[in-house]
Amino acid sequence: MESKPTRAEASAALLDAEVARARLADHIVTPSRFFASMSVAIAVQIATTAAGLGADSPWLMAGGLAVFAAVAGVQLARFRRVNGVWLGGFASRVVLGTATATSVSYAVALAAAIWAAYGDRWWLVALWSALGGAAYALSGRRWMQSYRGDPAAHARGESLAWLALMTAAAISGLAMLVLNA
Amino acid sequence: MAELDEHVVAPARLKLMTTLTAVSEAEFATVREALGVSDSVLSKHLGALEQVGYVRRHKGVHRGRRTTWISLTPRGRKALNAHVTALQALIDRIDWHRPR
Repeated sequence: MESKPTRAEASAALLDAEVARARLADHIVTPSRFFASMSVAIAVQIATTAAGLGADSPWLMAGGLAVFAAVAGVQLARFRRVNGVWLGGFASRVVLGTATATSVSYAVALAAAIWAAYGDRWWLVALWSALGGAAYALSGRRWMQSYRGDPAAHARGESLAWLALMTAAAISGLAMLVLNA
Repeated sequence: MAELDEHVVAPARLKLMTTLTAVSEAEFATVREALGVSDSVLSKHLGALEQVGYVRRHKGVHRGRRTTWISLTPRGRKALNAHVTALQALIDRIDWHRPR
């Protein structure tokens, strides 16, 4: 067993450890065109959900969900490949949108797009979808800044069990939409 | 009051465990580069920390190569927090008694 560190050794060890952690966090980047593709995927998902409800077309809604799932899956794989790390906080808050700002902006944009679709105001559906996608991407950028400021507090996301439950729920919803078509 | 943890006292281990708090898991080479140590040094510390249940290693693939992925366990996280608290208390206590 090593002897008890002196004050100087304790300070130096803590500082050194924090520098190493900050170095790793600073090197974590989003893959190229990450936010643009997530923004488009969310816009497509909002638009297809609104249009699908307005036109009573479950296939359209299922298609939008499938586009989002494909883009999210590819981007998460790219993130892991580029950085050599898995960041649960990034997966749940940025990609799956569980951060407060992301989920609130998404819910508002989706509700507004559905309202516009029922009134056959298709240009408004497109506008709210685009705004929802942009807000989603902006919230993700904000999360990345928060993460770099305090990596330990933001690194972890929901547990794998919770994410698996959510994925199962999404797949079940998708299957029900298609089967009821 | 929290005690210093004999398994984390070595500065290299404190650095390794603190670095792992920034991620859910990290690939071996990524951790090695962040710490600026050799493969053998990192493997040695990982082995010791794995033995006491502070880190977990599993085989995986990264960029088409077989590699090792490393993560901090809940037990390791708890031990690290307690150790850091003890270090901070040690620094504060000595500061308190220092002549002004």
